[in-house]
Amino acid sequence: MSTEITAPMPGKVAKILVSVGDKVTEDDELMTLEAMKMENPIFSTVSGTVKEIRVKEGDSVNADQVLFVIE
Amino acid sequence: MTTKEKLEQLREKSRRVELGGGEAALEKVKSTGRLTARERLARLFDEGTFVELDKFVTHRCTNFGMDKVEIPGEGVVTGYGQVNGRFVFAYAQDFSAVGGSLGEMHALKICKCLDRAMSAKVPIVGLNDSGGARIQEGVDSLAGYGRIFYKNTMASGVIPQICAIMGPSAGGAVYSPALMDFIFMVKKDYAQMFITGPQVVKATTGEEVTAVELGGALTHNQKSGVAHFMADSDEECIDQIKNLLSYLPSSHLEKPPVVPCNDPPDRREENLLSIVPDQSNRPYDMKKLIKMIVDNGEIFESQRLFAPNIITCFARMNGQTVGIIANQPLYMAGCLDINSSDKAARFIRFCDCFNIPILTFVDVPGYLPGTQQEFGGIIRHGAKLLYVYPEATVPKITIVIRKAYGGAYLGMCSGQAGADIVMAWPTAEIAVMGAEGAANIIFRKESEEEKKQKIEEYINNFYTPYQAASRGLIEQVIDPRDTRPYIIKALKMLANKKEERPWKKHGNIPL
Repeated sequence: MSTEITAPMPGKVAKILVSVGDKVTEDDELMTLEAMKMENPIFSTVSGTVKEIRVKEGDSVNADQVLFVIE
Repeated sequence: MTTKEKLEQLREKSRRVELGGGEAALEKVKSTGRLTARERLARLFDEGTFVELDKFVTHRCTNFGMDKVEIPGEGVVTGYGQVNGRFVFAYAQDFSAVGGSLGEMHALKICKCLDRAMSAKVPIVGLNDSGGARIQEGVDSLAGYGRIFYKNTMASGVIPQICAIMGPSAGGAVYSPALMDFIFMVKKDYAQMFITGPQVVKATTGEEVTAVELGGALTHNQKSGVAHFMADSDEECIDQIKNLLSYLPSSHLEKPPVVPCNDPPDRREENLLSIVPDQSNRPYDMKKLIKMIVDNGEIFESQRLFAPNIITCFARMNGQTVGIIANQPLYMAGCLDINSSDKAARFIRFCDCFNIPILTFVDVPGYLPGTQQEFGGIIRHGAKLLYVYPEATVPKITIVIRKAYGGAYLGMCSGQAGADIVMAWPTAEIAVMGAEGAANIIFRKESEEEKKQKIEEYINNFYTPYQAASRGLIEQVIDPRDTRPYIIKALKMLANKKEERPWKKHGNIPL
């Protein structure tokens, strides 16, 4: 089963901390989203493997936009 | 009949009611992993204290051959007892007896519980596990729900009303829980809550969704914000309810119970010095900060998974219950949005109803911008926070940790919103807006180079607690390590606070 990790609010992708194929556990930080003048950590909501990364550093994202797919 | 025989008759009648829908039906309920209605009540109440009421009530429906159907106990067990020594009324719907369906007399049993709890000024706990309306009883069943809703509304703000979803709760059945103060849900497939089930959803909208996805514990704790607490089992759920009750007074006429406290009230906390990062664009965990301040690091969090950008929890300070509202910089920068405003406002009103002092920890960058928020009505939802703080007459203490910008700060119990004491850490940035935004307006005609320097100046002069302190807008600037002692002193000073409000029927809170 795959789980989508979405942006909680609009912002800019500041730093991606994982690569496709990485194993992650719940609450691991996947990336930082720059928004509201804060470097917001985006956490994995599940444990699994990073299957897709749908954004790159510098991208602007909307709220609810899919950032990662974890399998 | 001799007295002995009459006693035997009483025993036999009792035994039959206590068996609910019968042994086979009880086994079937247990096979799903649930406790039975009576087992749930036994876990809730102190041993030997439960007194059952209306045990022999029966329905009086004759439609559809119902005159031949016996429903022992009417599918709901009601009564009172003691929870950790304090009286509480409770009802537990019995799924083994015709699915715990709600008919006229079933509803009357619940209504009586609510009536007596209100007269006795003690909390009510409802353990819901019901297939819904007893259709054979028609409008009598419907009227039953209506009566319960009315009683729930009357009891609101008089006694704490707590409910747990420990089975199905569909259609009209969802609204009594929704009218109560707190909803617990068991995270099991049997506990669901929705207006209409998956079949009707599919028939009307074409959407395919499972019952658990539509109305399970996770859905309502995380997505909808309908439920406040989640437990992995029936046992854990009831233990959580008992824990919640330990923080609450029995009614609006009382103050919350004070428990003995072995955490020194004058405890200085060295770790508070290092928790806030030096760069203001770095997040930290506000929950950790709160735990360093409250008694024994214990908090009891409401709506933990919903709108995590704001924290709402109960805790104790020197043994006294407090309600805490705090921005969480770790999620969405701790900004205010529709859901966080809604969540905090309802929690604050609960605290005010039941004489629970409010502590507000502030680190708020502002309201979340964007079409999603504006179209969703952030103006009217955000207004709830601006309304409930001034409305509350309980002691209100505000601690500004870091960012306190603009309207969002006013929404977090500033002095103008009626805080009794506002204290700020030296790291506080109390300002009308963020530095860059302000500089871009004030110094818009300057060159980029000059602007950069002006922003630096602005940060040094205006991103501090001292502008606000110089105008008396905050009362104290404190050493972070002294936060606990100062809060406890302020709570003691405010112990007899009494504040009147102009007479009115009731205010018109922006809903």
